Amino acid sequence: MKATVRKLVGPAGLTRFVCLVAVLATVGLLPWLSHRDPALTVLRARSAEQEATDEALSAIREDLGLHDGPLSLLGGWAADLLRGDFGTSWVSGYDVLPSVLAGLQVSLGLMGAALGVAVVLAAALVAPVLVRGRGSAGAFAAMLAAVPEFLLATVALLVCGVWLGWLPTAGWAGPEYLVLPAIALGVPAGGLLGRLVADALPAVLDERWVELWRGAGVSRARIAGAALRRVLPPLVPQFGMAAVGLTGGAVAVEMVFAVPGIGRTALGAAKSQDLPLLQGSVLALLLLGLVAGALAALTRRRLLGPALRDAGLTLPPARPVRTHPAIPLTLFTVLAVTIGWGLLRDPYTLNTAARLAAPSWAHPLGTDALGRDVLARLGHGAASTVGTAAAICALSLLVALALGFLPGIAAGAADIANALPPVIVGILVAAAAGPGTGGAALAVALISWPALSAHAAALVQEVRASAFLTAQRAMGATPWWILTRHVLPSVAAPVARHALLRLPGIALALASLGFLGLGAQPPAPEWGLLLDESRAYVERAPWAALAPAVALALLAGLAVSGAAAVQGRRPRRTTAGPRGTLGARAVRKETPVGA
Amino acid sequence: MSDALLEVRDLVVRYGEVTAVDRVSFSLAAGETLALDGPSGCGKSSTALAVLQLRRPSSGEVVFEGRELTALPERELRPLRPRMQPVFQDPYGSLSPRHRIRDAVAEPLKVQGRWSSTEGPARVAELLDRVGLDPSYGDRHPHELSGGQCQRAGIARALASEPRLLVLDEPVSSLDPSVRAGVLNLLADLQDDLGLGYLFICHDRAVVRHFADRVVEMRDGRVISG
Repeated sequence: MKATVRKLVGPAGLTRFVCLVAVLATVGLLPWLSHRDPALTVLRARSAEQEATDEALSAIREDLGLHDGPLSLLGGWAADLLRGDFGTSWVSGYDVLPSVLAGLQVSLGLMGAALGVAVVLAAALVAPVLVRGRGSAGAFAAMLAAVPEFLLATVALLVCGVWLGWLPTAGWAGPEYLVLPAIALGVPAGGLLGRLVADALPAVLDERWVELWRGAGVSRARIAGAALRRVLPPLVPQFGMAAVGLTGGAVAVEMVFAVPGIGRTALGAAKSQDLPLLQGSVLALLLLGLVAGALAALTRRRLLGPALRDAGLTLPPARPVRTHPAIPLTLFTVLAVTIGWGLLRDPYTLNTAARLAAPSWAHPLGTDALGRDVLARLGHGAASTVGTAAAICALSLLVALALGFLPGIAAGAADIANALPPVIVGILVAAAAGPGTGGAALAVALISWPALSAHAAALVQEVRASAFLTAQRAMGATPWWILTRHVLPSVAAPVARHALLRLPGIALALASLGFLGLGAQPPAPEWGLLLDESRAYVERAPWAALAPAVALALLAGLAVSGAAAVQGRRPRRTTAGPRGTLGARAVRKETPVGA
Repeated sequence: MSDALLEVRDLVVRYGEVTAVDRVSFSLAAGETLALDGPSGCGKSSTALAVLQLRRPSSGEVVFEGRELTALPERELRPLRPRMQPVFQDPYGSLSPRHRIRDAVAEPLKVQGRWSSTEGPARVAELLDRVGLDPSYGDRHPHELSGGQCQRAGIARALASEPRLLVLDEPVSSLDPSVRAGVLNLLADLQDDLGLGYLFICHDRAVVRHFADRVVEMRDGRVISG
């Protein structure tokens, strides 16, 4: 996301450009990529009573340009786009551009409000650290950052909207409709921002200049201001990623609160196979993400000034939140016992006599709308969600290990992958291949590798720079021997541990796709889907919605506390050798670990 | 100088625009210690890397045991590499933290196809004994040894390749003075017994005067005396 001229023209710039073109081409080729015949969709939409004869379908294919092959389809789409023609909706027959613009307007309003919530929350988390001068925002901020938007939105809707009845829960008719969605969207972002700043501040406040300023009688307020000014520039790229996350979170929040924004438009278009509308709204979402990233890069340059363009100002290593290992262990045990118990029960048997039953001995967590046992569905859902997440982790690990050796190429691709929230990739994959567990897994896998590959690249660089590898070459070892006996073993183990730490976060991403109907399909007991199905009956049977919500919250807690416990325990190992030795110039980099 | 073990002629090493080593020439006979002396940044280590062909020189010749190395492709160079071995400054960094001392010393034998499960372990024990380490240290990892012990293990690993030339890059600079003398004495004994040639890189005048037969002094990439 650092847009320096040097990076734009290197291999990273090239791959970034190639990946961007690939993403745009995927959007443009959706009608061709989609395995299901789009002609049928259009025919149904245009005239429900017309027979789906071969001639009728063929005429529609001709009309859509599907006969001419993918290249001319892409060319036509791009040419229309440049003329400002986004096409017409297959379903409604209206122009796409006005619907996209209307949705964009609503979404920008919502995101602006959410950003306000985020800034207020971040300030509230950072203020105590600035006042006390030490400590950190603690596990609370980390927890807020880890809770997925769809879960927060559902809980906010239940508590404030349905039970307390304070605020409207659906629609977009006035400022009061903005409150709940903005909170649901803004709180995770605010938790992330607050946590980043609050974790970095204590180390900065311990720097020499603070002592000096204090001794010189500078007011505390001015020192606090200067410390903030010192902390912000290196963190701005991460703020850009948080803004990108907002575009993905907006899809879930807009769906829960029935806000007619761009995210909901994209989701609806994906479900009804209305590809022109989908192309238009996904393009708008991508544009939002890229603009957010570019703004972040620009802000960073403004803050740094002309003298310190690139990595000139680094922060002292942050002191991460430390957790007692008992906390993740307890969370893990509670989840494991619940899942194990549920696995022994039958998740598919319908019992219409016991619909929406309250918890009892026969059904410890009650039953759902079809009389199925909630505990059993929770247990079996975990097996598929966590199993899929484990497969994704293994896949990202392989990708990361391969790309760790090609950091130039990986950096550009990672920039694009970071600019895409999982929900948007999920929408694209679902539109191309139809919604399903495999598609959701592919979508999450496509964007979950960058953090791992950055870690792998740092380790490869560190090992390659070490003197013992030079000794290997000197004794006549082949590159293959060095790779398999020394480099891979030193890199694979730490990156694999990192991948394991990301498992709960990946499971949450899968659940959010399931919640939006882009992942596992009914009657599969997937956690996100479980939460979505039980939402409709929440007033009569709150436990059916509460069970998956609590389970997801526990998973988020596990993601945070597990990472914190490992990070707190690990001693900082420095391999930096003395200067001026034969090739021994170890490179130490911050290895990113976390949810 | 037909009896020279190593002959370096007009060696040039460039890193991009910067010329680190500028037309350096010297020769070294078997059983002789030649010291490269000079302030830090004067091109000593770059010269050592270029002699070892671990960084290919930009121009010039490196003739080792009568063969010119700079023009050889990597594949033809590999069988010759064991004949000249480096010993590094950082005793811990030069051994893989993940491997036991025994495995580190055995690795040249395995890489060069001279390992056998019957004779290999005895050869490793013999090498450890040769550098003054009790063979029981073979079971330890580098971080369980002192700096001097690690440096001895590094020398044992170099000896496992059965070299004729050791390139010693500040081998005692990061050791305590008391340990330093022990390692220097070990190196002197090995030279007497095995007839090794030493290219000895050091910026400590006292050590150089005591240890080296001849001194080549470098400054700004050039030889200024020797």
